[in-house]
Amino acid sequence: MAAPIRPLDDAHEQAEELLPWYATGQLNDSDRALVERHLTACAECQKQLRFEQRMIEEFQGFAPEVDSGWARLRARIEPGQRWQPARPGVMRGAWDLLRRPAVATLAAAQLAVVVLAGGAFLSLSKPEYRALSSSTPPAAGNVIVIFRSDATQEDVLDTLRASGASLVGGPTSADAYLLRVPANRRAAAVARLQADDDVQMAQPIDEAPR
Amino acid sequence: MNAFGTAIRPRTDAARPSKIAEGELLDRVSAKDVHAFEELYRIYQPRLARFLINLVQRPQLVEEVLDDTMMAVWQTASSFRGASKPSTWIFAIAYRKAVKARARWPMPVEDPQDDMRVSDDAAPDEGLQQQRLHDALRAAMDRLSPDHRAVVDLTYFHDLGYREIAEIMSCPVDTVKTRMFHARRRLKEAMAGGFEDWL
Repeated sequence: MAAPIRPLDDAHEQAEELLPWYATGQLNDSDRALVERHLTACAECQKQLRFEQRMIEEFQGFAPEVDSGWARLRARIEPGQRWQPARPGVMRGAWDLLRRPAVATLAAAQLAVVVLAGGAFLSLSKPEYRALSSSTPPAAGNVIVIFRSDATQEDVLDTLRASGASLVGGPTSADAYLLRVPANRRAAAVARLQADDDVQMAQPIDEAPR
Repeated sequence: MNAFGTAIRPRTDAARPSKIAEGELLDRVSAKDVHAFEELYRIYQPRLARFLINLVQRPQLVEEVLDDTMMAVWQTASSFRGASKPSTWIFAIAYRKAVKARARWPMPVEDPQDDMRVSDDAAPDEGLQQQRLHDALRAAMDRLSPDHRAVVDLTYFHDLGYREIAEIMSCPVDTVKTRMFHARRRLKEAMAGGFEDWL
């Protein structure tokens, strides 16, 4: 077997790295100029470019069937359902979830999350945290979290379940939410939230338990 | 055709809608226009299916992640601000969901979903040598890691630039370049001299 191609110098290495996107026409002007300057003097990269072109051809020709997939998804979006207007983000989706009859079939643990979330919805129109201002407050929140703007209600519920957190308030004007996690598992829960792809930011807002 | 005798693909593929057209579709989807959503689905279903089979490998999981991705598009289209291309935004959602699905389900040792990979339908006059090269390419792709496969396919098939791929996969651009560099080298090594016959 031939030895792997090794970069001869920086210019060669840079050009060779960029060749696939040169071949697909996806380089900006400066990258393209870099590649073309190098190509004029490098027979190896000229050969590599022909390889790239052939690879592009090989990767074409894939056309999976579409219609059945659309029918499946069409059923999920429930065309007769009235959607909540204008409020972007996760809570609109969670509101829809709460209104679905299917919620009744959720397991007990899931129901616990949804019920707590339902409590939070009573204060959705308020800009402040309910938990911080109510005269008979529910469990105080100890973690603040911002979900990614494209997170769905399923994503949020998955995240809450995985971290053992309960939703107790929000959103703030910055679309942050207040969560409650057990004090003795706060560090692990925050670490899990911070590692979650659907979470943009998660931080504890009380002192670390001793 | 460039000075080196190779055809460089134009930046926009006539078979695919422009960024502007997809942006308009997303606007309509955010207003809960089901027809616009169906149009967007028909554009993205084949692209996402192909992208996802590289990442999760199980056909049922591909369907699940693809549906969840498009549901997220339906539910959160109003959060698309146009800071990136619609395709980058949608692929990034799919990637995050695929990573989560992968964590829930271990990958199979054998991949029974060959029919969702690069088609190896041979032309009637295609020779055994050509078929052997196709098989070698398929086998080499199977031996790459899911993330390496995804970078290769996003580049060669989906026509995405390295910056867009980095945004989709939430990694530095140098990581994308390095993954592509090593993936290409492994593909060539796996085909052990055979690819010279292509050129």
